[in-house]
Amino acid sequence: MKEIFWNTIASYNAATWPWQLAFIAAAAVLTLLLWFRPRRWVRIAAKLYMVIISLWIAFVYYLKFASAREHSEVLAIFWCMMALAWIYDLVTNFSSFSRSGKASYWGLIVLVLPLAYPFISISRGFVFPGITMPVLPSAVALYMLGMLMTFNEKINFFAYIFILHWSIIAISKITLFDIPEDILLAVSSIPAMVIFFTRSLKSMSGKFKPSDKTVTVLISAVAVLLAGSLLAG
Amino acid sequence: MTREQIAETADFIARYLSYMLGAGVHTSRVVRNSKRLGNALGVDVAIHTSQKTAMLTVSDKDSNVLNTRVVDIPSFPISFEWNADLSALSWAAHDRKMTLEEVRREFDTLVSKPGMNPVFVLFMVSLANASFCRLFGGDIWAMLVTFTATMIGFFTRQHLTKKKVNHYIVFIVSAFVASICASTSLSLGIPTAEIALATSVLYLVPGVPLINGLIDITDGHIQTGISRIVNAFMLIVCIAIGLSITLILVKNSLL
Repeated sequence: MKEIFWNTIASYNAATWPWQLAFIAAAAVLTLLLWFRPRRWVRIAAKLYMVIISLWIAFVYYLKFASAREHSEVLAIFWCMMALAWIYDLVTNFSSFSRSGKASYWGLIVLVLPLAYPFISISRGFVFPGITMPVLPSAVALYMLGMLMTFNEKINFFAYIFILHWSIIAISKITLFDIPEDILLAVSSIPAMVIFFTRSLKSMSGKFKPSDKTVTVLISAVAVLLAGSLLAG
Repeated sequence: MTREQIAETADFIARYLSYMLGAGVHTSRVVRNSKRLGNALGVDVAIHTSQKTAMLTVSDKDSNVLNTRVVDIPSFPISFEWNADLSALSWAAHDRKMTLEEVRREFDTLVSKPGMNPVFVLFMVSLANASFCRLFGGDIWAMLVTFTATMIGFFTRQHLTKKKVNHYIVFIVSAFVASICASTSLSLGIPTAEIALATSVLYLVPGVPLINGLIDITDGHIQTGISRIVNAFMLIVCIAIGLSITLILVKNSLL
């Protein structure tokens, strides 16, 4: 199972590295434009990029290169749903993709983490094409998380919960498929849960019970529980 | 008691019973509480209920003046708090000989209490479903997957309900989304992945309508009881449709 996993990554990287570079370049341009010149068309383009890269992971990575793996079609459906979450966002203008608060600066750190994937692989003694790259599912999820954290005035919660779910899947792969790079996603997505949900509590401004403080304690406790479970697992 | 006073009392009791029925209280309790409340306010109350509407006739014990109301039953979220508070109100009116004005004021205070925080409910439901997964023998990975799959499914349900989408469609979509997310655990090859898949939709099971339906039937409110059970059954069919779509897509042999 582990061998098939790494072989599929190698064949994917060997065949698609120019496309991957194009995706990375497009992501960099869109991120910089959103940070420095946030216009309406840039926001739309960023959401379109999320849709395209989600579909790329679903169809190109899972259905073409990883089809030898068991249940790869399930993961393809999952990434299609991720694409659907972004399409819904695009149509309804659900998230604003605008900067807000200190989390934006934390988001910048998360945004560059996908670039660390190949370096971690190389430092572990792997050689191209059998290394993790920034356009693999977990690295893409990490980039999406970084975008949500950086431009967090009003976020796409559907996409975030999908990313949180993916981080659970990814973290289990650390031991199953020997891919410690995925710890980056889990380490980022759990604190993001606290940040995003406590922010959404503030927007409700005390209309509900229990109090915001109690719910914040619950969210923090769940975050600790999740982190503890992941470590125990 | 004047005709106006009787009409006012009928209006209030109609509102009281519609709120209780709407919040998911079983019929015999609603009838008992409404009659107790009527008794405390000096009137006799006769009630007929159905799934969508309720009819009550209020009569003055002395003058034989009758007043009838037919009310729609609003669909509130199921609230055990309203159930307990409004039942207690009928006892308070009975024991403390409260006037209609006092009872009405108290009622308004009780029903205007803040609702449950949706984020709190989202986390509690996800934790509850992960616990179910453990009870059915799921390991730590299955529990974690169930937790986040439930979170996605329940968030979808909250969002679609807010958008006033038909609740049968909401159930189908939510069951599909939760189960397809839980099915991602199959790719990991963990031994209890199927438990995660099966328990991911348990948060949708309409337990309260099922229990209320049975209580209604055993208490003799057979018509309302059957309607409630049929309604619950329809929701269970919707869950089955959502789960079946996932199984057809990912694990055909399970169907």
